Amino acid sequence: MYRYDQFDARIVAERVAQFRGQVARRLSGELLEDEFKPLRLQNGVYLQLHAYMLRIAIPYGQLSPVQLRCLAEVARDYDRGFGHFTTRQNIQFNWVALKDIPDVLEKLAEVEMHAIQTSGNCIRNTTTDHFAGAAQDEVLDPRPWCEIIRQWSTFHPEFAFLPRKFKIAVTAAEHDRAAIRVHDVGLHIRQRDGVTGFEVWVGGGQGRTPVIATLVNPFVPENQILDYLEAIMRVYNRYGRRDNKYKARIKILVTELGDAEYIRQVEEEFAAQRAHEKIDMPAEEIARIHAYFSPPGLAEKPAVSKHLESAKAADPAFARWTRVNLHPHKAQGYASVTVSLKPIGIAPGDATDTQMELVADLAEKYGHGDIRVSHAQNLILPHVALDDLPEIYAALDAAGLGAANESRITDMIVCPGLDYCNLANARSIPVSLEVQKLFADPAYEEDIGRLHINVSGCINACGHHHVGHIGILGVDKKGEEFYQILLGGRADEKAALGTIVGPGLKADEVPGAIHRVVEFYRTQRTSKDEKFIDTLERLGHQPFQEALYAAD
Amino acid sequence: MTSVRPKLKPETPKSVTAWETATGRTVWMKADGSWTEDITRLGVFTGEQAEERLAAAAREEGHVTDPYFMEVTEDGQITGRETLRESLRAQFSAGGFAGAVSEQEIA
Repeated sequence: MYRYDQFDARIVAERVAQFRGQVARRLSGELLEDEFKPLRLQNGVYLQLHAYMLRIAIPYGQLSPVQLRCLAEVARDYDRGFGHFTTRQNIQFNWVALKDIPDVLEKLAEVEMHAIQTSGNCIRNTTTDHFAGAAQDEVLDPRPWCEIIRQWSTFHPEFAFLPRKFKIAVTAAEHDRAAIRVHDVGLHIRQRDGVTGFEVWVGGGQGRTPVIATLVNPFVPENQILDYLEAIMRVYNRYGRRDNKYKARIKILVTELGDAEYIRQVEEEFAAQRAHEKIDMPAEEIARIHAYFSPPGLAEKPAVSKHLESAKAADPAFARWTRVNLHPHKAQGYASVTVSLKPIGIAPGDATDTQMELVADLAEKYGHGDIRVSHAQNLILPHVALDDLPEIYAALDAAGLGAANESRITDMIVCPGLDYCNLANARSIPVSLEVQKLFADPAYEEDIGRLHINVSGCINACGHHHVGHIGILGVDKKGEEFYQILLGGRADEKAALGTIVGPGLKADEVPGAIHRVVEFYRTQRTSKDEKFIDTLERLGHQPFQEALYAAD
Repeated sequence: MTSVRPKLKPETPKSVTAWETATGRTVWMKADGSWTEDITRLGVFTGEQAEERLAAAAREEGHVTDPYFMEVTEDGQITGRETLRESLRAQFSAGGFAGAVSEQEIA
């Protein structure tokens, strides 16, 4: 993984010292909240419903064991013993005292972490495929380009005060696991005639105005991608609306201009950029960054592990976990493991300090020191030998992390909702836990197959409800929580927005309604190989809608 | 300020609530104008006195952040449009929270 050079280290250390001074002035009353707010936001500090929330950047979701242990220490010493992994592949601490945050940031800086650009109207953490560098279906490892984009976008003086926040996602695999088409910019790495380049999608997003991105260029060669991104950002920075927060995202600009005119403006800016201000990425610097992401030295292994097979035969629960939570690795005899942070009854995406330390230990012992955070709020050990899976599972299961539910119905993406968030209208966590209960039988859940439920506590859609196969959106009706159900969303290469099926439901009506929809699917699927979303797309929404509102 | 803050009539009983600046903890103003983390000890204000209390709270910038009115009954119970939000603030302040804990703890 990327390591700080002397400049990185100095910049982060200076930023911590600067923020320490700002916090001291806030606590003395010298800085008023209105003056302090933009300063704290630039350092990832929000004031939420109950306390300050600190959001820490995890660039493209990659962590070392040392970093994860540091996060565990922060959870234990400065929070209430847990952290919350987010859909931006970051982590949030919900109970950190403002007076302690400079110390936390100093501690994080020691392990090459920070909270810069995790908030504010700037370019946020670039996300990517959580199996990057390990997945069989990628054309190359996207992380070096994520790192290059990170370096380009961090403290970029021209893009520090954009009309609104800006999110970039990158994938290099045909199956999009990074949800690139619901990002402000989605980049799909392609190879054409031996040249690496980027398919560029712009103007996707969720929130109150969900939009699937527009393909603005099918192939931008890699040596021109920063110029192209610069052109995209310039057009947005110049013409994106600043008069209305709710119309300020780039998706609104693209929609209002129309695809053709937007693309014309970007291409015009790109041509000017190439002619006058071309970004020449030094080849040695590109090579230096790529070198940080060299594949781990994986010893040759047979395709089948006898140790694994005998362990599977002896333990049906372990066998199920291997069927559900493993992803094919490009190297024979290895797999990528999803460590589910969605055990039944626990707030989705949360991990305790001891669980974080365990995953760090396992990564160090079995996983070549590599840990990822997925946008689905799970942890990943991307490079694990099949021989080691029984020991890994035993350790995870003993720590409450043995759920076999990756991409299954209980593996929900859930925002913090009104339990934590100052913007939320309704709680997300309790309703998701109630839905989970109905599908807690692992055999039943495995029979249902892949099914994504995404839950948001308000229209801002942090829980990605627009792109869940089933979306749940919490709304407030005169002080009472209601939940609207959406059907048909998906975040992959066939990205689609779900549609609201009808009137909102009371919280206690939601689990039963979801259960009826799932049971209807099970009666209608052509075989167990036909996934929920495929049956839904084949039959249309109407019969599912009728099932959802049918009386028990 | 980010959450919705309904306007309350002068005669509506209300308390003043805020976040302690140093820690972010939820606090409520007591009848004597000092602050407490114990919601059962909050003060109930109406009319001009309420406005004066809120103005005084706003001057305590270093100590509390973003004070606002919270609707309560005459005996200090949370009520009104934001009952759920304010009840959650009170509940979590008292130690209940929805983090990586068993669901029983959030019931």
